[in-house]
Amino acid sequence: MSAPAATVPDPAGPVPPLPPGADKAERRARASQSFWTAVVGVPAVFSVLRLGVEAGGELQTTLLLVANVGTVNLLAGFLTTAAQLLSAGLVAVFALGAVLRISVDRMPPGVRRPLFVRWVDTTPAWFAVASFLLALVTWPLLYLPLLVPAFVAAFQLSPERLHEQVVPRALLLGAGFTGYLWLLAPTLLDAWQQRELLAMVLLVVPPVLALFVTGPLPAAVIRPLASVTEAAVLATLVWAALPVISTPVLPLTVTTIESAPGVSEDIRGHVVTVDDVNVVLLQERGGVRYVPVDQVRAQVLCPSEEELPRRQLRIRDFHVEDSLLEGLGRRVRPVHRIDAACRTVDRGPV
Amino acid sequence: MNEVPPRHRLRSVATTLAVALTLTLAAAAGCDNRREPSLPSVLDKLRESHVDGQPRIKIGVATTEPLMGELRNGAHTGFDVEIARYIASSLGFEGDQRIEWVTLSTEDRIPALQAGTVDLVVSSFSITEERKKLVSFAGPYFVTTQEVMVPTRLKDRIRTIEDLREPGYRICTSGGSTTEAELEKHQVKAYVVKDVGDCVEGIRKGRFDAVSSDETILAGFLSRYPTEFEIVDMPFGTSEQLGIGVPIGDPALRDLVAFFLHKSYLEGRNGISSPWLSAYNRTLGPWLKGGRSQPQPLDVPKLVDFDDKAPRR
Repeated sequence: MSAPAATVPDPAGPVPPLPPGADKAERRARASQSFWTAVVGVPAVFSVLRLGVEAGGELQTTLLLVANVGTVNLLAGFLTTAAQLLSAGLVAVFALGAVLRISVDRMPPGVRRPLFVRWVDTTPAWFAVASFLLALVTWPLLYLPLLVPAFVAAFQLSPERLHEQVVPRALLLGAGFTGYLWLLAPTLLDAWQQRELLAMVLLVVPPVLALFVTGPLPAAVIRPLASVTEAAVLATLVWAALPVISTPVLPLTVTTIESAPGVSEDIRGHVVTVDDVNVVLLQERGGVRYVPVDQVRAQVLCPSEEELPRRQLRIRDFHVEDSLLEGLGRRVRPVHRIDAACRTVDRGPV
Repeated sequence: MNEVPPRHRLRSVATTLAVALTLTLAAAAGCDNRREPSLPSVLDKLRESHVDGQPRIKIGVATTEPLMGELRNGAHTGFDVEIARYIASSLGFEGDQRIEWVTLSTEDRIPALQAGTVDLVVSSFSITEERKKLVSFAGPYFVTTQEVMVPTRLKDRIRTIEDLREPGYRICTSGGSTTEAELEKHQVKAYVVKDVGDCVEGIRKGRFDAVSSDETILAGFLSRYPTEFEIVDMPFGTSEQLGIGVPIGDPALRDLVAFFLHKSYLEGRNGISSPWLSAYNRTLGPWLKGGRSQPQPLDVPKLVDFDDKAPRR
């Protein structure tokens, strides 16, 4: 049995008078639906939006990209560039949801459960673990310590679970922290010398916070925290999504063409497609160029300026702005020479 | 109402604080992720420099100094030329079609930089305080000493600076060089010609008896006439630091050149073959006594580049 009011939900409105069992099942279904819609829908919408931005807002260029960039490529490209943001959003939802859930569970029944709690209720544990794993391999090393309190909160792993007695528990925690600080000691010294205070705080403080982050929150805090964090996570995702939308889908190249004997030109842009007749280039400064294949003399892959490091800090020779995946990748292919053509800007025929 | 035990209350306050702090740190990390690099990047400097957007880079080199800067069969060769090619390609001018080689005599190097005829001078250009008032230098990329080269017939007779002072010997050097000033300081009267090559030809034709210049330049002529000449090690007491000359009004270009020289220096120091080492081994290496390594460039700016994240070990 279901009341018509329940099929047209008003999330902000009062709880409709429903039998307790049906209400719960209905809510679970709705929460599950909204969660999975967000997880699948957001990347899909983003991927399409990105094409429009990549095309420079031109309808015909967007259509050219749509025609040439396959769905799988688009999704893979999106995951490569947005995995960090996606996992950050999921980790935030799971960590906050779990903290709020344990707090709400101790309150009298009938209290409306916050959105994140409902999401956490409906999400399988493996999905939460997978999100944390994705974050572990895609987040910059500098931000990885934040994953410790988030993980501890998401799975409510209080220090008491290490050992039931205080002394062995303290010893275990002490050993853990000592090892952690030993790993980071050279980096912290460097950060101190470079006056990178935020980096020092981000490396040292989060594991300490992990000791206190479990457990219920005071009743007075729950409602404001739930509303503020829901709004904040949404706002952060939108704010962080803008650069992701404007991140190119296609790799950046510099193509050297020789349009007449002795007259060469560098075109900085993205290769959309290559066929027997033309190389189709989406120029970095805008516009599409169809270059005859026989005029192409050289082509090099170039990094974009967004990839420039902001810090000069390393953790055991891994750059702090690299993710674990990137750091390991650099060990497999350690020498990376920037081709001279990448330094050049678009210029007319020489 | 249930009374909450103080221990539990303390615990929940700690949790609240921990959650709030974690959220604050996460927000700080998010903002930090969007921060611009604090140091200028190579591309920033390139955009500041006057060579940005030029179709070709104009580099002043010598064409009459074997092993250093020579025009052989229409192609520029030599240590200076190799270094110039490395710097040009690092600045985005890869290949000789992107370089306009400008032949400069020793005395024309400063005027050419001042007049904008060239963007860089890589031509055995010694760094001196006097010259620093007129042009900027990046480097040093080589440290050399002043030597004297004599024809084989005089190798036993000209051995010291005193021998050079003897009125019977005609000593030759190139005009506008540091050697000219150094000889004057040691009261050695010298004939001043346009290039060291003119001195060498002069000796071969019997017009001069000895030539004084940087050991790198002399090694070049020795490589051309190995049986006719010999280099005499004389204690002039000064070492010359060769640098790359840059117009004084373009500090960004100077910084870039210094940065790329330093990059090569670091590669060499890490045991990797560096552009400098390759250039040296192909040109001067076989003709200079003792193994050399690249000197550490001075006043190198800290710049951010794409390969900064690469492993160092």
